[in-house]
Amino acid sequence: MDEMTTDVDLAVRVEGLSRRYGPVRALDDVEMGMGRGITGLLGPNGAGKTTLLSILATINQPDAGRVSVFGLDPADTAQRVEIRRRLGFLPQELGFHRHFTVAGFLDYVAILKEIVDRRRRAEEVARVLAAVGLQGMAGRRIRALSGGMRQRLGIAQALLGDPDLLLLDEPTAGLDPEQQLRFRELLSNLPGDPTIVLSTHQVDDVSAICSHVVVLLAGKVRFTGTPAELADTAAGHVWTSHQRDPHALLSWRGGDNRWRHLGERPPAGVEVTAATVDEGYLLLSHTVDNPSTTRGWRRVGRRDR
Amino acid sequence: MTTPFPDQVASADGPGGHLGGEVLAAYATNRLDEVAAWSVEAHVTTCSACRVALRAFVDRDRLARNRSVLLAAAAVGEPGPARRLLSRVGVPEHLLGLLAATPSLRRSWLLSVLGVLAVVAGESVLANHLWNRGSGSTWGVLVPFLLVGPLLVLGGVALAFLPLFDPSHQLAAAAPFPGVNLLLARAVSALLAALLPVAVAAFFVPGPGWLPAAMLLPCLAVWCVALAAVTVVGATAAAVVSAATWVLPVIVVAASHPALAVVRWHAQVAWAALAAAAAVVAFVRRDRFEMGWTR
Ligand SMILES: Nc1ncnc2c1ncn2[C@@H]1O[C@H](COP(=O)(O)OP(=O)(O)OP(=O)(O)O)[C@@H](O)[C@H]1O
Ligand SMILES: [Mg+2]
Ligand SMILES: [Zn+2]
Repeated sequence: MDEMTTDVDLAVRVEGLSRRYGPVRALDDVEMGMGRGITGLLGPNGAGKTTLLSILATINQPDAGRVSVFGLDPADTAQRVEIRRRLGFLPQELGFHRHFTVAGFLDYVAILKEIVDRRRRAEEVARVLAAVGLQGMAGRRIRALSGGMRQRLGIAQALLGDPDLLLLDEPTAGLDPEQQLRFRELLSNLPGDPTIVLSTHQVDDVSAICSHVVVLLAGKVRFTGTPAELADTAAGHVWTSHQRDPHALLSWRGGDNRWRHLGERPPAGVEVTAATVDEGYLLLSHTVDNPSTTRGWRRVGRRDR
Repeated sequence: MTTPFPDQVASADGPGGHLGGEVLAAYATNRLDEVAAWSVEAHVTTCSACRVALRAFVDRDRLARNRSVLLAAAAVGEPGPARRLLSRVGVPEHLLGLLAATPSLRRSWLLSVLGVLAVVAGESVLANHLWNRGSGSTWGVLVPFLLVGPLLVLGGVALAFLPLFDPSHQLAAAAPFPGVNLLLARAVSALLAALLPVAVAAFFVPGPGWLPAAMLLPCLAVWCVALAAVTVVGATAAAVVSAATWVLPVIVVAASHPALAVVRWHAQVAWAALAAAAAVVAFVRRDRFEMGWTR
């Protein structure tokens, strides 16, 4: 990890955070810090990403633990409002008032963000529409937008008012490949160097734009570090050969007809290669799923065959 | 008010209703106040002659930027007559903007209010007609209308409150704009939007002339009870509780007294007391209105 990062630099700090829903521990003693730049949250369905982001967005309350955003405590009413003034939030399941026009919806959110002056609102709306490439759609009804356009509209509303902290829950879900690249460009060019936290299932996104990665598994933080460090966790666990390998946890045939394997220990004599971020993530999630080491591996290995 | 109406500023200056050079120059150098600037922009979007004239004063970049702002502003939509009226009366413009997302101010909801009232009032009139000929009972004449009026108010509040009816409620919750103010603005507008048709319908049902006025306090009381209840129990339970505070007395009274006793003088005192008590509860517990944080 980046040893130079001092506590002062951390925009978001979380200590001992827990949140239960009945018997489900959505978050279990989560500990982390997030600084400037883009942090990617990785984790399978149900890992607790949305729960964590909603707590950071001050719309969900933890059962235990402390949260600090810009040194402010969301448990305090006045400080919570201060956090919200500096926040842009894209919920995972953002619904729209479907009768609204695109610009009308953004205008509404801009009022919620306390942009009272009508002209300034119009300027902000025009700015964020251009940022997500929807300027031609300003007058369209939301119900007439495609799913990907709605997703971009969701991103646009999060950008209103130039927030210092952007929390984006699966922002690239439903975007076509071009729009995914445009989204990366957009995040890289945001003015004011905001702190960005995004959750995603696309490890591509993480390796492409995130300076930090946090892997959540079943409510616990299992990894924090850079994407390169996540890839390194699988170093020595990826090898290639000409046939399928029964010892591998996962095997797949590449375009060059060689088999690529991910597993606990490569057999003697095979060619070990550099691991990717995906492989680091995959290995991590399987290790945690099957802590009983070899038996666990074999079982998964058999099922895969 | 000192601010002149936009269109008048624009057309006052130039020949033939066009913008004068002075106004254009002032606009180009950002010397116009907001209202005047808007009026220039509103005119320029529709008038190519003035657009050309303006180009002499404004640099390209600024014009391009302004154009996208203009398009965005146009797409937000011009405020309708109701909104213009309210904003002239002094209601802040941005509050009215927020109400644009209030389900209980949507045409479909207002139409259903009117529809239900028309049916109930029609039923009362019809029942009264039959009863006069000796074949009906008081139950059919006023009780349905009495029951339905405040319940419609309640429905409007429920629409304004329940996250179910606000698909982007997570955005409202995570925004700095106080949740209490948003909900109150919605609830008040819902109250007014239902109260007016209820009072009008009361003129048509075969009750006494004071019935429209007598409906106001019970409606207000049910509304206050709903607000108070939602700070104590969940939204669904609050709806049931507040509906019951109206429905039960109506039925009990109608069973033993003339149905109208529930809105007569003594009852009015009770409704006023109830409204006041509920208002106090809602005020004291107002921080519970905030979604998400308080469970
Ligand atoms: N409102 C809720 N009521 C009950 N359980 C919930 C609620 N919200 C989340 N959970 C549970 O908490 C756990 C974490 O859910 P969460 O939505 O945070 O996961 P996630 O990582 O965002 O998953 P996904 O990738 O599917 O979006 C899950 O087991 C889920 O069932
Ligand atoms: Mg999620
Ligand atoms: Zn003109």
